[in-house]
Amino acid sequence: MDNMKRKVRFFFVVLAGLIASCQSEPDTKTLLDQLVVSTNYDTIARFNSYVTFAIPTDTIGLISNNSQDTIITANRSDFPRPVLDAIGKNLSDRGYTKVGRKENPDLGVNVVVVNDFNVFQQIVYPDPYFYPGGGFYPGYYGGYYGYNSWYYYPYVNTYAYNTGVLVIELVDLKNRNANNQVRVVWTAYLGDIYSTVSLINQAVSGIDQAFQQSNYIGTGL
Amino acid sequence: MKKLLFIIIILIAGNAFAQDKYFYVSLDISKPLDNTNWINSTTARGGKAGVRFFINPKISAGLDLGWSTYDEYKPTKTIYTNNSAVTSDYFNYIYNYSAAISAQYNFKVGDGEVLFPYAGLGLGANTNEYVLYYNIYQDSERSWGFLARPEAGILVKFSHRRSIGAMAAIHYDYSTNKSENYNYDRFSALGFQIGLVFITL
Repeated sequence: MDNMKRKVRFFFVVLAGLIASCQSEPDTKTLLDQLVVSTNYDTIARFNSYVTFAIPTDTIGLISNNSQDTIITANRSDFPRPVLDAIGKNLSDRGYTKVGRKENPDLGVNVVVVNDFNVFQQIVYPDPYFYPGGGFYPGYYGGYYGYNSWYYYPYVNTYAYNTGVLVIELVDLKNRNANNQVRVVWTAYLGDIYSTVSLINQAVSGIDQAFQQSNYIGTGL
Repeated sequence: MKKLLFIIIILIAGNAFAQDKYFYVSLDISKPLDNTNWINSTTARGGKAGVRFFINPKISAGLDLGWSTYDEYKPTKTIYTNNSAVTSDYFNYIYNYSAAISAQYNFKVGDGEVLFPYAGLGLGANTNEYVLYYNIYQDSERSWGFLARPEAGILVKFSHRRSIGAMAAIHYDYSTNKSENYNYDRFSALGFQIGLVFITL
């Protein structure tokens, strides 16, 4: 009977392991190989009324709880230049003319990375049943797995989430209100830029996609 | 849920040694039948396990536990709503766990000691976690439902003297499991099991 009990219990331990292994998740590489691109626009804006735009050449804003920096510059990162070039090219392709900031542009372009950094700590209580020597077969593999005995004590698992969204805004500089305030007429959010397979390629593709799904942007409409 | 299943399994394993019965564990290949726009793919990432006691040579009853992971990749698409648009590819997942009390009618074939064809019905509950993965983001919803599972199958002992054998069965799962966010009024699936059985007669 003891032999039967051991067989059956071993069978069920294996079974429990199988259940645990069946809860799969998507392949990470496929999940992260393109950014999620979200856009929205101000329905009052008349995008065909704008003629010119201004955009920074080598600087992207940074809003982060992880860094004191407020900008990402081209001399410290490969990221700003291709991103800003891609935005400028898309606007030019839609018929707008690039001008300098001081040349009274109709549209201003804001580009910002919003970085949210969180650290989590989790206390883990390992289940001895899942480890040889701790459950149904005390000492069975004791000699070999003896060095694993620390598994039976809770330990703290520290891990971090570092997430980021690239935000692109088109600002109407042409139609200021009486208080000289401006309105954001289009916003694109591209994420996550901190977990990518190829950051710059995905960012540029994401920018192209943002304009592609915003066919109302253009001088010819 | 996994821990709960594990505890139930261990309790059963520790307390059921005195009666004619069988334990089984099987691979469960199943296909969802509802809202197939969301997930239509057949999955082999599932299993069933349980214990059944013979009340008499024709009638058995017991507990069945099941689990399956359904998934389907949805290629990149743009969804437009009012003045906004979102583009992404998506992974739709359903993590399904079930527990049912079941009863079987066992047909006698030959000497009644090697082949055990049966038909039965299980009643219980299941829980589904519907998860939408896109990039690092995910949305999910969990719901519970009543489960009814008609099943037909056969157990085959490898020999008269051995307690181990094989089993095969087909089952239809109907549950009242609903998801508002993912448009499920109910959840049903058709499954085929193949696995091992340990018979103590």
